[in-house]
Amino acid sequence: MSAEVSPGVDAPGAAGAAARGIFPPELLDRCISCGFCLPACPTYALSKDEKSSPRGRITLMRALETGVLEEDDPTLREESSFCLGCRACEPVCPAGVQYGELLEHWRSHQWQGRHRPPLARVLTNVVVRNWLVRRLGTFRGHARTAATSPQGPHLMLGCFERALFPAVSRAARRLRPELDAPGNQGCCGALHAHNGDLELGRTMGRRLGEQLPGTIVTTAGGCAAHLAGVLGRDRVKEFSEYLARDGSASLGELRVDGRRARVALQDSCHLRNGMDVWREPRELIAAVADYVELPGAAQCCGSAGTYSLLRPKDSRRVLAPKLDQIEAAGVDYVVAVNPGCQRQLVTGLRRRRSRVRVLHLTELLAAAQDGGLPRRRLRLGARPGRRAEVPADEPAGLTAHLNDRPLPDDPGAAGAGRPDALDGSAGPDEVHRS
Amino acid sequence: MALDPGVLAELESIVGREHVRHEQGEVAPYARDATPLFSSPPDAVVFPARTAEVAAVLRLATSHRVPVVPRGAGSNLCAATVPLQGGILLVLTRMDRVLEISPAELLVRAEPGATTATVAEAAAAKGLLFAPDPGSRTVSTVGGNVATCAGGLRGLKYGVTRNYVLGLEVVLPTGEVIRTGGRLWKDVAGYDLTRLLTGSEGTLGVITEVTLALLPMPATASTGVAYFSSLADAGRAVTQVLAHGVVPATLEFLDRTCIGAVEDYARLGLRTDAGALLLFGDDGEPDAVERNLTRMGELCADEGALEVTVAKEVAESEALLAARRCSLPALSRLNTLTVLEDVTVPRPRLAEMVDRIEAVAARHELLIGTFGHAGDGNLHPTAVVDVRDPAAAERTHAAFAEIFAAALELDGTITGEHGVGAAKLPYLRDRLGDDQMALTKRIKAAFDPAGILNPGKTGS
Repeated sequence: MSAEVSPGVDAPGAAGAAARGIFPPELLDRCISCGFCLPACPTYALSKDEKSSPRGRITLMRALETGVLEEDDPTLREESSFCLGCRACEPVCPAGVQYGELLEHWRSHQWQGRHRPPLARVLTNVVVRNWLVRRLGTFRGHARTAATSPQGPHLMLGCFERALFPAVSRAARRLRPELDAPGNQGCCGALHAHNGDLELGRTMGRRLGEQLPGTIVTTAGGCAAHLAGVLGRDRVKEFSEYLARDGSASLGELRVDGRRARVALQDSCHLRNGMDVWREPRELIAAVADYVELPGAAQCCGSAGTYSLLRPKDSRRVLAPKLDQIEAAGVDYVVAVNPGCQRQLVTGLRRRRSRVRVLHLTELLAAAQDGGLPRRRLRLGARPGRRAEVPADEPAGLTAHLNDRPLPDDPGAAGAGRPDALDGSAGPDEVHRS
Repeated sequence: MALDPGVLAELESIVGREHVRHEQGEVAPYARDATPLFSSPPDAVVFPARTAEVAAVLRLATSHRVPVVPRGAGSNLCAATVPLQGGILLVLTRMDRVLEISPAELLVRAEPGATTATVAEAAAAKGLLFAPDPGSRTVSTVGGNVATCAGGLRGLKYGVTRNYVLGLEVVLPTGEVIRTGGRLWKDVAGYDLTRLLTGSEGTLGVITEVTLALLPMPATASTGVAYFSSLADAGRAVTQVLAHGVVPATLEFLDRTCIGAVEDYARLGLRTDAGALLLFGDDGEPDAVERNLTRMGELCADEGALEVTVAKEVAESEALLAARRCSLPALSRLNTLTVLEDVTVPRPRLAEMVDRIEAVAARHELLIGTFGHAGDGNLHPTAVVDVRDPAAAERTHAAFAEIFAAALELDGTITGEHGVGAAKLPYLRDRLGDDQMALTKRIKAAFDPAGILNPGKTGS
């Protein structure tokens, strides 16, 4: 404490400070600016600039709240968008700052009207319509049950997941036939909450809660965390969490070339950082295969919801070191527990022509139970020829198109993102990069 | 005060355009460090990559009389890196290499922006220990550690940062590059400028390289916990431990308020009916560690401990230390503004100081929990108040002024390890006296005739 408290007090609500009412004060007040979040933040690792760290972004939010910065300040716009929203800063925060929620409020304010990225507007507009969500999955053969038991448990089909990876819900129901999967369910609204429409996102979450009464089981970590925030933690079970409660008995074994398969995991950020679920998928994998922990398994893959589409270049910079790790680990499969991560890894590994395949956890466990992976099924409407040779783990159609958009220079290329790749010169032996 | 466009252009030519920030939104996140209630943005943030760039920036700043504030991770707790007068914030995080580890000489050479944890891990990979252990080690930089003479949990047995600084490369505000000390454990040539610069908080020069001493890694470590009905009892136990020739690696305490807050927050199963909790631990060879732990446990029991537990294994030790590590977060969650201080008194007066703090807190109707390092008399009285209540902030301010005065009365100091910075500058004269204050200013002027380096802090 000092006798000379400086005039620029940045704590909203502190004597003399104005408040625009953008953030709930109890959330913004929590941060004590200790900086413990810095080493956990993927964008700070890229930029080494305070404004791209959780602490720096909270200082920016405070400057926005108190009017120190204008609402259209370019740094505010850039940083609210550059943040992956992975919430890796939350488990390491000694003060318990709910950064993910602060970011949702920030984007809801920052991305009003014309400031909202157009692609985010299109995607959120698509999945807000129940009939359109249903149509997304209709031709892809996701799991579906006609009747809905009032008490559940219900399998959530997701919006884009049912179109991109329909095999995931089918595998989930093969593993747990008791799960009801009504086809007329909507989207959970996580996409909206993370992309500048927090209120609509919450409304959609509540609506899904009414459509699927009782326990909701989901194969998407990001949706699980959002739904848990809206409906309460008790009503939501991510699939690994749901499976893990009755032990790992009789799951079978997955073998490759006559040996146990070697399998790595990519955590879902919101599942791990928002719901503290990360042991369960590891235990399930270890029950059917040799589990290999990637050094950066807990770090964001750069998919981050719409991020890989809105900021493809940054997304690939975040992904690059992870692809290096996957290839160095000598694994047969890498497992995802969220469709965004699955899509990101499929795309990244394909671009490198890697032999490592990507599976959702449900697909891996179903394959172990069935005694092997199914051969690729010809999809309805798929024409013979080149596309039929695409491995089964790859999304088709619009997604493949989005994934393959050419970039002027590809930061996702092998080796990019490693510090020693940047300055090119490996020093003498005793030199260590931090 | 905006920066002259000519100066800005020169900064960009020195470090490269992409390593200078000057837009309002870009510099706003650098207005503060980890110190509450201090905020003032720089005019420009500059990220140099090498010593020559630092020197060029300082020469430019001196010739144009522009303030320069060096910064590492900005995790200090005394507002040492808040640019009170604007100017250039010189952020050294790009200079983050561990340059060399020499097991034969037991030393590490590193650039200032390497984090403490990075240096410690690089040393550990060669079986060596970097002993200073500040709480912010995962984020703090070694340059910042040296500039603030960071302490930590191992102070009693291992000392603090200054005991490990062998040599420095420093750029003076006028642009000259000097190397003080070096790789030698014995070197008495000239004034000990290495020690003078250690803890100088960026007011005398900019550290661009550090040479730090290492120790062999201890084979094992273990921890025990003792509960007492009062801190006075715990204080007597500490005295007994040291009187019996045991110098433990860990000797930490929590007062009643902290025990309650930690238990509410972390549910560790602590005894909330106790008036004080004492953590004791040691590291070294297994049989010596076991002997010391047993001895310390017995001495605590002799002094009336309510309960003594010694960890059977490493995981159990970690669980016990968790109570100490989560004291600050547990307290900070009780309200919206956390003010953490670090007065230090001679070890025998620890319990007396805690009594004084409790009396001050009661008089000002404040919630103040105290935890800290019983082994070296370093206390962390922590006030938690409502940031929106100006009256409470005023009472906090008044209470800490009294706490500082009480520490000085007990032959203690206003800060043991956090530093002076801007936060405690108003109290520095009470600690140093007029003559030392005048000498401090003359030393500052000798290093920094233009007064550009970290103005508004020690020496200004």
